[in-house]
Amino acid sequence: MLERCLGLRRLRQIQRACRRGSLTFLCLFLTVVVLRGTIGAGKFGTPEQDLNEIRHLYAYRSRRVEPHRVLEEAQPETTTNDANNYATFDISKILVDEAASADEPKRDPNAPYTLGPKISDWDEQRGQWLKKNPDYPNFIGPNKPRVLLVTGSSPKPCENPVGDHYLLKSIKNKIDYCRLHGIEIFYNMALLDAEMAGFWAKLPLIRKLLLSHPEVEFLWWMDSDAMFTDMAFEVPWERYKDSNFVMHGWNEMVYDEKNWIGLNTGSFLLRNCQWSLDILDAWAPMGPKGKIRDEAGKILTRELKNRPVFEADDQSAMVYLLATGKEQWGDKVYLENHYYLHGYWGILVDRYEEMIENYHPGLGDHRWPLVTHFVGCKPCGKFGDYPVERCLKQMDRAYNFGDNQILQMYGFTHKSLASRRVKRVRNETSNPLDVKDELGLLHPAFKAIKLPTSS
Amino acid sequence: MGQDTLSAQKRATATALPTTTALAASNARRNPPRSRQISKTFNNIKITILCGFVTILVLRGTIGVNLGSSDADAVNQNLIEETNRILAEIRSDSDPNEPDEPDIALNASSSFSLGPKIRNWDRERQQWLQNNPEYPNLVRGKPRILLLTGSPPKPCDNPIGDHYLLKSIKNKIDYCRIHGIEIVYNIAHLDKELAGYWAKLPMIRRLMLSHPEVEWIWWMDSDAFFTDMVFELPFSKYENYNLVLHGYPDLLFEQKSWIAVNTGSFLFRNCQWSLDLLDEWAPMGPKGPIREEAGRILTANLKGRPAFEADDQSALIYLLLFKKVWMEKVFLENSYYLHGYWAGLVDRYEEMAEKYHPGLGDERWPFVTHFVGCKPCGSYGDYPVERCLSSMERAFNFADNQVLKLYGFSHRGLLSPKIKRIRNETVTPLEFVDKFDIRRHHPSTTQSKS
Repeated sequence: MLERCLGLRRLRQIQRACRRGSLTFLCLFLTVVVLRGTIGAGKFGTPEQDLNEIRHLYAYRSRRVEPHRVLEEAQPETTTNDANNYATFDISKILVDEAASADEPKRDPNAPYTLGPKISDWDEQRGQWLKKNPDYPNFIGPNKPRVLLVTGSSPKPCENPVGDHYLLKSIKNKIDYCRLHGIEIFYNMALLDAEMAGFWAKLPLIRKLLLSHPEVEFLWWMDSDAMFTDMAFEVPWERYKDSNFVMHGWNEMVYDEKNWIGLNTGSFLLRNCQWSLDILDAWAPMGPKGKIRDEAGKILTRELKNRPVFEADDQSAMVYLLATGKEQWGDKVYLENHYYLHGYWGILVDRYEEMIENYHPGLGDHRWPLVTHFVGCKPCGKFGDYPVERCLKQMDRAYNFGDNQILQMYGFTHKSLASRRVKRVRNETSNPLDVKDELGLLHPAFKAIKLPTSS
Repeated sequence: MGQDTLSAQKRATATALPTTTALAASNARRNPPRSRQISKTFNNIKITILCGFVTILVLRGTIGVNLGSSDADAVNQNLIEETNRILAEIRSDSDPNEPDEPDIALNASSSFSLGPKIRNWDRERQQWLQNNPEYPNLVRGKPRILLLTGSPPKPCDNPIGDHYLLKSIKNKIDYCRIHGIEIVYNIAHLDKELAGYWAKLPMIRRLMLSHPEVEWIWWMDSDAFFTDMVFELPFSKYENYNLVLHGYPDLLFEQKSWIAVNTGSFLFRNCQWSLDLLDEWAPMGPKGPIREEAGRILTANLKGRPAFEADDQSALIYLLLFKKVWMEKVFLENSYYLHGYWAGLVDRYEEMAEKYHPGLGDERWPFVTHFVGCKPCGSYGDYPVERCLSSMERAFNFADNQVLKLYGFSHRGLLSPKIKRIRNETVTPLEFVDKFDIRRHHPSTTQSKS
């Protein structure tokens, strides 16, 4: 019928035109879809982003055995180029390293790694210095040594957008504990030795601080992901009068089992003496980045129980050092497990409410842990070993648990362990000095200045 | 005749045409040419492939169907979404576990107070100090100082803000360790109505009353950095004063300028006078109509003040101007930079390092560099971001160099996070300790314990 209407020729023309038209339309459609696919395709990202994620997934799986998580910042909606807007800022634009100058002291690359020139008479040097400087005694009370708490983080912003916020809360937590207990803090943001980067960075730092602060009797290293949760607990210093190195751990697990988590180097005490310099020198050789660290990692995985395959870390190296050198080092090392000098967070964080109900601060052990250490959470990095939500929420709870003990001094407490807000628990009075805080933390005995007996 | 031939031709062609098509058709039916068949097949395949491709792309674009490892990707996507949700929750102000309490804004008629009136604080404090000699208010001849600083309880609007808060507190920790000052870092809003810049008032009062052994409370903003690690406050100048502010008398009394003094870094003595001043200062603070109304009064009375709600600095200036009795015990310090406005200082750090030495505290080597207006914790500042952050980085490294000097290191340039050695390791480190430790060189710290 159409044929009769239009004429055969016309019909053929129309058919041809239709065919060509549909081909054109198809190609146009394809172009649009491809463009959408490459520069923005719905809510699932571009195929390139997917490819990157797949790549990340496989690369990560080859490095770690545990489940992974990925942390990425949501892409900002705005594309304004406002110079005053902090959202669009990129820190790498301002950081500039000056070129290394020729007269900088350089290490000989062929010599074996050392933390510094060997010192053999540190005890004498230090003893003499303390005699000459009576204003800087190494003991600030009869049983109270001068302690320097050392912690630190990277000088560059965290990869995780909320990582710096948790570092801030962590340092505030440490400031509070140390203010109550008369301990000084050193927050390190400098990498002293590029070869000892990562978890090994603490070794050159500790050595440098011991040598520069002879008045310090004990150096307390604490990881940035460890928080104080018992503000009233004072470390039993007399217990360690014959020891030089105090770590949380179990003798059987280190010396007999050689278990790589038999001790923890996230929170430990090191006395300022020749022995400590010697053990640092013995500890360091597995650290230098590159082939040495990788090879050492293989040795440690082979020798220690349950250790996964990865480069050498300072904790495994210490287990190995103690297990193979017990006669040399063992008598001055105290593996403490009567209180949580390091408390693995996984078994503690869910019990905070139970602890509040049944116990009180000042115990330091499983009933009220001194330190809750968020091993494996890595809030500053992009990849951790545990789910994000669990880690961050539990860090908030641990922080609030510790902060409640500080706030109660001033009559406040957090509304709940998950809440940032505070509420009053003690009314203001016109006689503030008659009111004592429950835990006696405002003017604790361990902070009092000992007076000379003649006054 | 023409028509005849035409119609004849037409008839001829008409008959011819069917003949040719018939012939072609019969030809096609009997023996289709190979090339045409191939090209037709080829065309069909092309179109099929094209359509298949388009379908996959469209499906991918709309419902994310993948031909690869769909499992891992789906899990990945879920994790990313979950993570973003958690981050958004952490950064938001709301508390998921409790209902938002309605903000009860005070109306202008109701009165606000920081707490019950205390009238004999000086006497009570003296008595307490006598009863507790192990908590003296003077340590080694120096008055006991408590540095108070803080930041909001939730993460900054941008991650870089938290990073600079961290650097700022490290800077303060370093100064206070060297000078024996205790720090209180406040992240809690003790009083909901006095939020924002007013939050320092209830905290100062609370600390004064809880710590009678503290002689001076030093408030410092989170965007202020110590840049002179050696300089110590000259307390002998302040024996007869109770409030030390950085400011200029002419700006204050003659010009009535709203920036005549700066409340980003000031000292309050722990005494009755201070409690009274806090009580007089606070009423302009409560959030809501009171603060708005007070803001209007302040803008009307102070020179150069833009229109916004009442802030603590303008309110203090107003108080000092219109109740002159307070000025008797206020020391306006400008012989050193108790507060140093950053814009005129940050570009000169290299020049200062070359020509002068730490310990001066003034324009030659500023004591405090205060980044007013930068607001790195918010979304927008009053200045370009790059200028603010690079200047803060420079101020931080300038101060850090003074701390690292003892350890034999220095930054590789004021904008670099990396450090370089400036002194070789030795086997007798104590000679350098004696030479470079700031504590050992300050005259007041060499006094023996009294």
